[in-house]
Amino acid sequence: MGITQLNRRTLVQGVAVGAVGIHALAATNSLAQSDTTVKIGVSEDGYRTDERANVGFYPLNTGIFESLVHLGEDYQIKPLLAESWEFVEPNTWRITLRQDVSFHDGTAFNAEAVKYTMDRIASNGGGSMGLGADSCVIVDDFTVEITSSRPNRRLMQQIGHPNNSILPVGLNPAESRIGTGPFKEVEYVAGDHFTVETNAEYWGDDKPEIAGITFNFYPDPTARMLALQAGDVDMITDVSRPAAGQVEQMGATLLRSPVGGYEAFYIQIHGEEPYHLGADPAVREAISLAIDRNVIVQNAWQGNAEPGHTMIPPAILGDSVSIVAEPTYDLEKAKSLLEEAGWTGDDIRAKDGTALTLTIINGYGTAADHGTVPEILQAQLREAGIDLQIVQTPDTATYEQRLSLGEGDLWLEAGSQNDGNPGFLPGLLFASPEEGGDPESTMYGRAFAPGAAFDEQIEITNNAVDMAEVQEAAALGMNLLINEEHIVVPLCGFFRMVGASEKITEFSLHPSGVNQRWTSLRVKG
Amino acid sequence: MGSFILRRVMLLVPIWIGISLLAFLLTNLTPGDPARLALQRELGHQPDTAQVEEARERMGLNDPLPIQYLRWLGHAATGDLGTSYRNGQPVLEALTNRFPTTLKLAALGLAISVTIALPLGALAAVFRGRVVDHFSRIFALVGASMPSFWVAYLLILAFAVNLRLLPVAGSSTWKHIVLPAVTLGIAGSASLMRVVRSEMLENLGQDYVRTARAKGLANSYVISRHAFRNALIPVTTILGMRFAGMLGGTVIVETIFAWPGIGKLIIDAIFDRDYPIIQGFVIFMGTVTLLINLTVDIGYGLIDPRVRPAKS
Repeated sequence: MGITQLNRRTLVQGVAVGAVGIHALAATNSLAQSDTTVKIGVSEDGYRTDERANVGFYPLNTGIFESLVHLGEDYQIKPLLAESWEFVEPNTWRITLRQDVSFHDGTAFNAEAVKYTMDRIASNGGGSMGLGADSCVIVDDFTVEITSSRPNRRLMQQIGHPNNSILPVGLNPAESRIGTGPFKEVEYVAGDHFTVETNAEYWGDDKPEIAGITFNFYPDPTARMLALQAGDVDMITDVSRPAAGQVEQMGATLLRSPVGGYEAFYIQIHGEEPYHLGADPAVREAISLAIDRNVIVQNAWQGNAEPGHTMIPPAILGDSVSIVAEPTYDLEKAKSLLEEAGWTGDDIRAKDGTALTLTIINGYGTAADHGTVPEILQAQLREAGIDLQIVQTPDTATYEQRLSLGEGDLWLEAGSQNDGNPGFLPGLLFASPEEGGDPESTMYGRAFAPGAAFDEQIEITNNAVDMAEVQEAAALGMNLLINEEHIVVPLCGFFRMVGASEKITEFSLHPSGVNQRWTSLRVKG
Repeated sequence: MGSFILRRVMLLVPIWIGISLLAFLLTNLTPGDPARLALQRELGHQPDTAQVEEARERMGLNDPLPIQYLRWLGHAATGDLGTSYRNGQPVLEALTNRFPTTLKLAALGLAISVTIALPLGALAAVFRGRVVDHFSRIFALVGASMPSFWVAYLLILAFAVNLRLLPVAGSSTWKHIVLPAVTLGIAGSASLMRVVRSEMLENLGQDYVRTARAKGLANSYVISRHAFRNALIPVTTILGMRFAGMLGGTVIVETIFAWPGIGKLIIDAIFDRDYPIIQGFVIFMGTVTLLINLTVDIGYGLIDPRVRPAKS
């Protein structure tokens, strides 16, 4: 009897159960398709939970909180909780607030909330705005004045950073998340997921048209991709450039943002032997001319980048972007420049017995972030008779330690812009260092600062009120770095990429991840 | 046995101090400014000089190293391992929150390893040169050759992407632990199985086994009660070491499967130069490893009466 019959019966029962299971699964999938909750695979849960807690607004902006202004996709600030603002000499910004906004718990948004938030920022060191304990003053229920503890005319560009999102009076974001945003918190499980639902009472015009979002954390980019393929999530963020093609191969849609990040290398001009060759302007110009950006875009990034000609996103410079000339690729000119400067030789060039050997340091953010770019640069510079040695540092900290010691010629970096201040990054990296300043804090200036002409432009970006003037100065400064002094060699402009399943019908991807607005998500059904 | 355990526990104190000093010095000698890195993470861009200085002062990094060490040791003695530079969480809380998650994964991974390795290794020895031996050899070769991340992706492709039976990654349901535990189990079982096989072969050729057979004991009894039990002695040591390794070093598996365990915590801390977390982790894992070794030593006594401490 029995074993064969039993097995047969078990098999039949198993198939029946399986069929029911598959049917149920299909029904569940069909339900999931009609559900307007979106599951998004994001890279990591990096929230703080102490007195500086930023849960819900940075680094993953869940749409619970909002700041006074919003950084648009064109990198220009737009009113959000602030209706208007004006500069009051010598150093104050008077901000008029919206009067029709309330927090998720029904509390009215007003000047008290802004003061509470700004005071909290001040008690945590003042942030990039440089706020002090008395910086924020309430003028009336819907007007505040903010005065930085240092001269700061870029405060409105900085205040839009999600880290400066407005909290209701007394709220500690480590304990609860109540904002004015288009989404309300449902559940946060550290390291696993963050779920938000649509705020039906949202004050803004761009009300969400979905039920909510669950952000699932997947630190590994391949697992994130597989989660999209498996249908565990409807969309994934931070698709890696080399793997972007796989998103479309698996039948999903690859969405691209405008350029918001960059890859460039900087040439040290103040180095000591043996890292002193970048001080020769001919060497720097030849390096710039010998780089074919299109090859890097195609070979290292499979077309998922743009040839770069600015360091920060071009959009942030507005109309002044045309001031920054596009670097050209001209290998013959690079060779003749080196010849004229006395760098001669059939293979690796030399001058006065010194070989033209340079060292590139790769490790910012991580060496892996740059893929095969160092090797491509090595091959291209070799064509011009320049020998390039590649040093990979294991992480950013080691890279910076090396930079503070000046041990390298070329420094390969990638970065992104998260606020609307066009002078911030160039000023931070290339302004002349303070006399007697801490070597580590002034390491960029010590290695790369071109001097007074550049510093003048940065002064304007810091002190002008008119944004057109700020943009022009930033563009002039950048042009000096890139096309006159050849200290910065921009390689690529990076755009963000997300992979979306067919459930997602519409989404506007912001070039800066932390400034993403999720209200543009549209889904089937 | 009681005094043996007490002696071993007392030995932990100087070892703890040694470990703490080593952890503190090595961490502080590593290049990189934790204040700058913490600010970069918080701001999303390079901080300026004033911000870095304020953060260094707040973190106590401007004090001389001996002062920093003694302050840290004083607090550690009272159970306060400091707070994370990265997210402000108390270190002990971060470790104890994450440790059970890793413990669960490591225990299940080890159980899977043992379930595969012990019977397969023993059978391969008993049926030396037969099909099961060849199979075990191929399994060991493949298992030891494939890095754990590769096994992880293959399992995800099979069970999550194609069959859709299990989730790709996460930690919120019981289903989430299956793939990472199997990944760890497969990785651990290959070499363990070869150890079991070789130990079994060695014991099966010993005189005491021949004597037992000559006395007329059943072959299955001789194998299970004599040869296998003796083969377990070195295996126990390896299991103890492997378990300690799994508790501290499952970072790749934890990262791929988004498993919020202690391995991922420490790797993030190393990249961010989060000294309090690194130092706390070293102390914590040092203690766990010592306790596992102690357990293994006690386990020896249970398996092998020859190594039990003599009764006074």
